[in-house]
Amino acid sequence: MLKINNLHVSVGEKPILQGLTLDVPAGEVHAIMGPNGAGKSTLGYALSGRPGYEAAEGSVEWAGENLLDLDPAARAAKGVFLSFQYPIEIPGVPALTFVRTALNAQKRARGEDEVSAPVFLKMVKAASSALKMDFDMLKRPLNVGFSGGEKKRMEILQMALLEPSLLILDETDSGLDIDALRIVSEGVNALRSPDRAMLVITHYQRLLDYIKPDKVHVLAAGRIVASGGPELAHQLEAEGYDKYLPVAA
Amino acid sequence: MAAVQETIDAVAALEKYEHGFTSEIETEYAPRGLNADIIRFISDKKGEPEWMLEWRLAAYERWLAMEEPTWASVKYTPVDYQSLFYYAAPKKKDGPKSLDEVDPELLAIYAKLGIPLGEQAVLAGVEGAPRYAVDAVFDSVSVVTTFKEELAKVGVIFMPISEAIREHPELVRQYLGSVVPVSDNYFAALNSAVFSDGSFVYIPPGVKCPMELSTYFRINASQTGQFERTLIIADKGAYCSYLEGCTAPMRDENQLHAAVVEIVALDDAEVKYSTVQNWYPGDAEGKGGIYNFVTKRADCRGDRSKVSWTQVETGSAVTWKYPSCILKGEESSGEFYSIAITNGHQQADTGTKMIHLGKNSKSRIIAKAVSAGKSDSTYRGLVSVHPKATGVRNFTQCDSLLIGGDCGSHTVPYIEARNGSAQLEHEATTTRLSDDQLFYAQQRGLSQEEAVALLVNGFVRDVMQKLPMEFAVEAQKLVAISLEGSVG
Amino acid sequence: MTARLQSQPRIDLNDASSFPSRRVESWKYSDLRRYLREAPKPSPTAIVGPPGPFYDLGGDAIVFANGRPVGVTDFIASGDQTLRLRFITDAVETGHTASARVVARPGAKLLLLETHEGAGSAYVAHNRLDIDVAAGAEVTRIVLIEEPEDAISITDIDVRVAPGGVYRQTTVTTGARLQRQTTTLSHGGEGADVRIDGLYTLSDARHTDLTSVVDHVGRDGVTSQLTKGVVRDTARGVFQGKIRIQRGADGVDARMGHHALILGERAEVDAKPELEIYADDVQCAHGNTVGNLDESALFYMQQRGIPVDEARALLTQAFLIEVVDRIENEQVREVVRSWLTDRL
Repeated sequence: MLKINNLHVSVGEKPILQGLTLDVPAGEVHAIMGPNGAGKSTLGYALSGRPGYEAAEGSVEWAGENLLDLDPAARAAKGVFLSFQYPIEIPGVPALTFVRTALNAQKRARGEDEVSAPVFLKMVKAASSALKMDFDMLKRPLNVGFSGGEKKRMEILQMALLEPSLLILDETDSGLDIDALRIVSEGVNALRSPDRAMLVITHYQRLLDYIKPDKVHVLAAGRIVASGGPELAHQLEAEGYDKYLPVAA
Repeated sequence: MAAVQETIDAVAALEKYEHGFTSEIETEYAPRGLNADIIRFISDKKGEPEWMLEWRLAAYERWLAMEEPTWASVKYTPVDYQSLFYYAAPKKKDGPKSLDEVDPELLAIYAKLGIPLGEQAVLAGVEGAPRYAVDAVFDSVSVVTTFKEELAKVGVIFMPISEAIREHPELVRQYLGSVVPVSDNYFAALNSAVFSDGSFVYIPPGVKCPMELSTYFRINASQTGQFERTLIIADKGAYCSYLEGCTAPMRDENQLHAAVVEIVALDDAEVKYSTVQNWYPGDAEGKGGIYNFVTKRADCRGDRSKVSWTQVETGSAVTWKYPSCILKGEESSGEFYSIAITNGHQQADTGTKMIHLGKNSKSRIIAKAVSAGKSDSTYRGLVSVHPKATGVRNFTQCDSLLIGGDCGSHTVPYIEARNGSAQLEHEATTTRLSDDQLFYAQQRGLSQEEAVALLVNGFVRDVMQKLPMEFAVEAQKLVAISLEGSVG
Repeated sequence: MTARLQSQPRIDLNDASSFPSRRVESWKYSDLRRYLREAPKPSPTAIVGPPGPFYDLGGDAIVFANGRPVGVTDFIASGDQTLRLRFITDAVETGHTASARVVARPGAKLLLLETHEGAGSAYVAHNRLDIDVAAGAEVTRIVLIEEPEDAISITDIDVRVAPGGVYRQTTVTTGARLQRQTTTLSHGGEGADVRIDGLYTLSDARHTDLTSVVDHVGRDGVTSQLTKGVVRDTARGVFQGKIRIQRGADGVDARMGHHALILGERAEVDAKPELEIYADDVQCAHGNTVGNLDESALFYMQQRGIPVDEARALLTQAFLIEVVDRIENEQVREVVRSWLTDRL
């Protein structure tokens, strides 16, 4: 169970998250929707530990620990995965090397055995073909020269290989056409399991047709202002976010 | 493309250095040479208080103990310091209270130079009358300063420095020599001893100076050294834009110009300093021409202070100047935009120093050099980051355009980073005029000179755009004249 | 206007007055006189120990032990050949000079694998290397430098590339108390192709100074330079790259890049990429950047579980490896790659 309690996060001088409280049980998919500037990405960065997004107040409980006490790599070892809205290019570091280094670092942190090169290659081949990714692309430097869709699929591939338990998808649908959206969504759905909690952050309802949420929450002006079932997403689609702005203000 | 047409028209209408005329004005000179008595003579002529004379004499002692620098890559006939006149002024009684009192002959000279000294047109509300205040300096003295009263109404002090020493001694004393100390370099020491006149500007807190301020220097008397001293102080939150222009007649002998400009910017203040330098470059054989050794420095003392230097250098036989910024304040910012054009036998060694001391300070340098004829142009710059200056950003772009195979263009940047969080970026390129583009322009009807002017203006465009409007037109004309005869 | 040909000061270890101080422009950032005031005592004989890093590449060898040649000092290449050039030092507080000469005849293709292997402490090693590349010859010089933290190591290389010759140089160094390599190259143009690359990785209080002067005397020559460096702790990296194009040397294409990462709060980088151009029909450019690791890339790696130190190391290696990847010979490239990764 992910328990976020009274989370306050400022970016620079500006308060963004202002007392956000949210519970996401393992096995469930929760959507976070909201107007731009509400703090959706900030939530993802705060949960994953990005510098500059430290919590001024509040706690985040996951896997028996307060995540806020851990550095980003330690949080990853505890199963936290943030799928970036704009995945980073890393010149000079082949994608395969990157993922294997990450996987083994996590395993070491958990006291598990590392994965050998041949085993890892087999894993990658299986996962990449399921995502219809060209294996040769993975020998190139990570994300360098990849299209938007390829970068997003690379994120999902990493998810499949790193096997996280708390998945935070930050606007995974941005920049994707219908086909790419479908493939990415299938990849995400394939990872659903009773041990995994998923936070799907999105501005548009469309993604939720493919990744069906158990609950939908509205994040406005730094807080959760409304929660409901999947139909809440359709309501937002029809009415927009206006009615939540004065409430939150 | 209005700018282009303007360039073409301007080029067509111009002859060679049109400011080269000499004027017969009754002039009073100090005895030739330099010694403590000459300094007393100058100080006395200007009616200076005792402390100012002491300051000058101390500077003179310092200068005697220093050696002239030889490291710059320019070659010039050494200056015989004892053979110059260090004071020359048009004969007159006291300073003119108004324009009516200025010698009409002087006014005529400035009119011929195209410098608007008339307040009437503006005050009478005439449309299109150029509205900027001018301090006109003729040889060693300021002849007149326009718009003084109007500026004084908002608290802006704009007057010749000789007047400021008498009327605002506390201000002058507080800041003079605080940015360029007497011992800073050989020419600064000399200037501190014998400086003639220049402008003093003080902008009070929160005031945005209502008009551009400018000083126009005209060297007229022969065999004189020109040593102007300018001091600009922008108090907290103040803003001013300052233009410096200068010309000199054509003469056979070289003339020495060793100026010092100090700028102080306090918290949130901003100063824009623009120079269009059009000294006489020497004749076709390289004889004569101005030796231009200038120390210009801005002390960005306050947090978020900003100083930008914009210069168009087209004249002088030998140029040695590095307008610099000491970025002391946090988040202070320094900018340097330069166009250096050399032709004939000119030599230029110019650039900037950006000294980053304050956290998160930033600097931006764009230098364009155009070399033609047998000239030689060097960009010499320094970007340095002090160990305690975190978060520094710099971007530098130096581009050289060579016209013809007999000139030289060099780039010597020094980049010294002593703090790990600095991000410094420097790029330099060298190219020539494209034959294809030249032919294309000519095929469309432009003469070769017009085509060259067109391409060069394109090359320097992003710096040209930084100039205040009043200067931009003159600068474009200058670019064209300076490059006459450079191709073919 | 003729070009000003400033020659480098000629150092003579027996003559302390020849040691440049920071007042000499080209030694501005490497004040030799500060660390070396008197002529050092001559180094004793040393024995050549284990084989060097390039042993497996075979070929011929020129070896110096404490400045004394073990065998020949000159080498002439006529065909496809490999020459290992080893400057071995095992000395304490003494100094020595070594001089070697390499000539590549027309049609020769020489792989010159040079190492500076130092043991002991506080010594002064001065090496001179003279290289002639004839028309139609090709020389690739790969240099690995590893010396004690308190040693002084100075190498002067004089290269003459005849019209149509090819010269490639890659220097990988870990610095020393004062470590300086000065490459002075005369470029004959007319299709001659020159590459001078460098890579430095410095820790503690080490210093390195990679200085080069490429003088284009002939037309239609090509020069490409890439130097990348990382400085940590209180180390200091210096790069001085000068490209001169003489009057009449039209058609030259010369590019230079220097990029440094400063990973220590008190580390320092000084760079002076210089252009001296007297011909107008040329293409010249240089770029210089000083910065640090990309913060967003660092966070991305950490979010995937890679601890911060490992992430830094990966990014640093990725940054530097570009220079190694420019080495064409695969076997040499691999030797250099593992030599470097062992020392990162």
